[in-house]
Amino acid sequence: MYFQKLILKFVLILMSLATYLAPISAASRDENVLIVGANIGNVPWEFQDTAGELIGFEIDLVNEVAKRLNREIEIINIPFNGLFSAVQSSRIDIAISSITITEQRLTSVSFAQPYYDSDQSLTIRSDSNITSVNDLQDEVVAVDTGSTGDIWASENQQQYGFKEIRRYEGIAPAALDLQIGRVAGYISDIPAMQYYTKDKPELKVVERIRTGGSYSMMFRKDDELALSVNEIITTLKQEGLVNELHNKWFGVLAEESTSTAKVTAMPGVKAGLLLNFMDTFLNKAVFVETLPMLLLGLTTTLKLGLASIVIGLFFGLLLALNRLYAPAIARVIAKVYIDVFRSIPLLVLLIVIFYALPFVGISLSPFTAAATALIIVSSAYTAEIFRSGIEAIPKGQFEASQALGLSFAHMMKDVILPQATRIVIPPLTNNSINVIKDTALASVVAMPDLLKQATQAQAIAANPTPLIAAAGIYLLVLLPMVLAVSHLEKKYSKRNQ
Amino acid sequence: MGSLIRLENVSKHYGKFMALQRVNLEVAEGEVVSVIGPSGSGKSTLIRCINLLEQYDDSGKITVNGTVVRKGADLKNVRANVGMVFQNFNLFPHMTILENVKLAPMRVDEISTEVATKRALTLLDNVGISDQADKYPGQLSGGQQQRVAIARALAMEPKILLFDEPTSALDPEMVGEVLNVIRKLADEGVTMIVVTHEMAFARQVSDRVIFMDAGQIVESGTPTDIFDATREPRTLAFLKNVLEH
Repeated sequence: MYFQKLILKFVLILMSLATYLAPISAASRDENVLIVGANIGNVPWEFQDTAGELIGFEIDLVNEVAKRLNREIEIINIPFNGLFSAVQSSRIDIAISSITITEQRLTSVSFAQPYYDSDQSLTIRSDSNITSVNDLQDEVVAVDTGSTGDIWASENQQQYGFKEIRRYEGIAPAALDLQIGRVAGYISDIPAMQYYTKDKPELKVVERIRTGGSYSMMFRKDDELALSVNEIITTLKQEGLVNELHNKWFGVLAEESTSTAKVTAMPGVKAGLLLNFMDTFLNKAVFVETLPMLLLGLTTTLKLGLASIVIGLFFGLLLALNRLYAPAIARVIAKVYIDVFRSIPLLVLLIVIFYALPFVGISLSPFTAAATALIIVSSAYTAEIFRSGIEAIPKGQFEASQALGLSFAHMMKDVILPQATRIVIPPLTNNSINVIKDTALASVVAMPDLLKQATQAQAIAANPTPLIAAAGIYLLVLLPMVLAVSHLEKKYSKRNQ
Repeated sequence: MGSLIRLENVSKHYGKFMALQRVNLEVAEGEVVSVIGPSGSGKSTLIRCINLLEQYDDSGKITVNGTVVRKGADLKNVRANVGMVFQNFNLFPHMTILENVKLAPMRVDEISTEVATKRALTLLDNVGISDQADKYPGQLSGGQQQRVAIARALAMEPKILLFDEPTSALDPEMVGEVLNVIRKLADEGVTMIVVTHEMAFARQVSDRVIFMDAGQIVESGTPTDIFDATREPRTLAFLKNVLEH
């Protein structure tokens, strides 16, 4: 049974890697349809208007490109850090999302010529006194996982003395945390933030961070499509159409010297990775480079997991005893608690705790929020495990204790719980495994856990090796626990025969 | 001698079923009372009410050594005075024999480990099990386990011992060793109520025999009264049934 669960778990991890395995199915798709992946919500590049229509600078541009290629177009929504694997696996033909061309990315993907010169920016709450990144010493800053802003902030963390870098999956959650006050500043692409804050007086872009960098469309490495698209962009620039789009979305024409107006060369093809299986999935250089990040993530995962398990055990036992022996009202409350929190998806609870509670004045750090959600849910499951363990103890044990005159506390401590513990160790260990696995959900509240670190590393390196490595690390930690459960269960069932 | 246990009008309902109906009983200090009767007649329920393992109806009243047996602060005193031996022994399987016997004195009377150990070993010696003190219940035979259970009940130095069919779960060859221990306690003057199916034992050991049927005490008397001279048809029918087997 546990092996089945284990297999299931790895199927799930593989599913997160499924974008790499997609060429198998890609072969059967309609060749005439150009599939474009975009991180929808990335204003003003690709987002939805109130009618739900996809609009934006890059949406307009890619539609024009498709038209000139004489191909149908289908646009699908993929989070920013998933775009790299999506093009590498040919699940999509083109990725757009104000993707910055970098040397490192060019080793594993191709880009057409750039059409926008960008910088990073610092966005703050309008009521704060911060005017530049120099004011962010000992402050928490927000970035988008694996983005140019992330890379810049990580490289400059020591220089500016950022207390912590929190990584979000998109503008909305990061901006929300900025408003709540959990982060002091948000470092992200300047055009996006200027556009986003246009109708939000509570937020303000205060500084351009000169990182340079230009955006373009991204392709699978050495895809011939990149060459054709590059030529089309040359034509569109010559026709002035790209700059018209600039005018449409930013209200001004770009200067003649920028890549929006000027035809530039296609970014040089780097002598990079050959995309064979080993280099893609088990790249040694990427592994060595990202391992320290992953191990840091592992310590966060283990800290969060252990704290949640230990405190969850304590509350679970308390709940179980209340559920079984407390006066009627407390018993009902315990039952309701247990039933409710076994029914609520952990992810939903986590998001409520992290993003909703601040509006009633309770603003928890990512760690506390994640631990709280895990403890609340884990204690509900633990309570049921303890209850079934206690109920499995024969009635005669209770009666013998009572007849001897033992107090309730002594009966529980000396007679019932020591016996119940033996019964509940396998299911409790099982629950602990689940808690550790569930810590991965904490990445949605910007917790730098193992999964988050792996996601970030794979976006920066544009290579899935860190995800494979993370799967391996989860396996190393959890497999011994899974085997221990099987062993204990076998031992226990033997003893009872 | 005053009565150590007094039951007045004690009834017990399970829903609509009357397990006990207006039972009156007094047991004097030093008295050995056997309770016999067909299964389901309320014998076990009767003695389980005495230490409140079962709640009895508010209309009745049970006193032990002058204390009313009800939920509350006094229950501790009642249970300290009343030891019980169960049909299925109910030893604590995760503790050694010695730990089983000394647990309650240490926890309830807060007696030191040394004193409790010494007392436990003496008691185990009395029931002939002292050489098994460090074993676990699962390693002992049924007869040995039941003797340990008796030592465990005695460790609290109770004024009264209740036996709930103490030999019914035993293989026939082990019945004797347990009955011998109970007989020895009876000879020492320990007050006890024994629910039993062992008629020969009841006749030999008891000061008084009670015959119960349908939640009521049908008759009560000396062993001779009940076993040899009864005119009560229900008692006669029961005895005929039991002795023919």
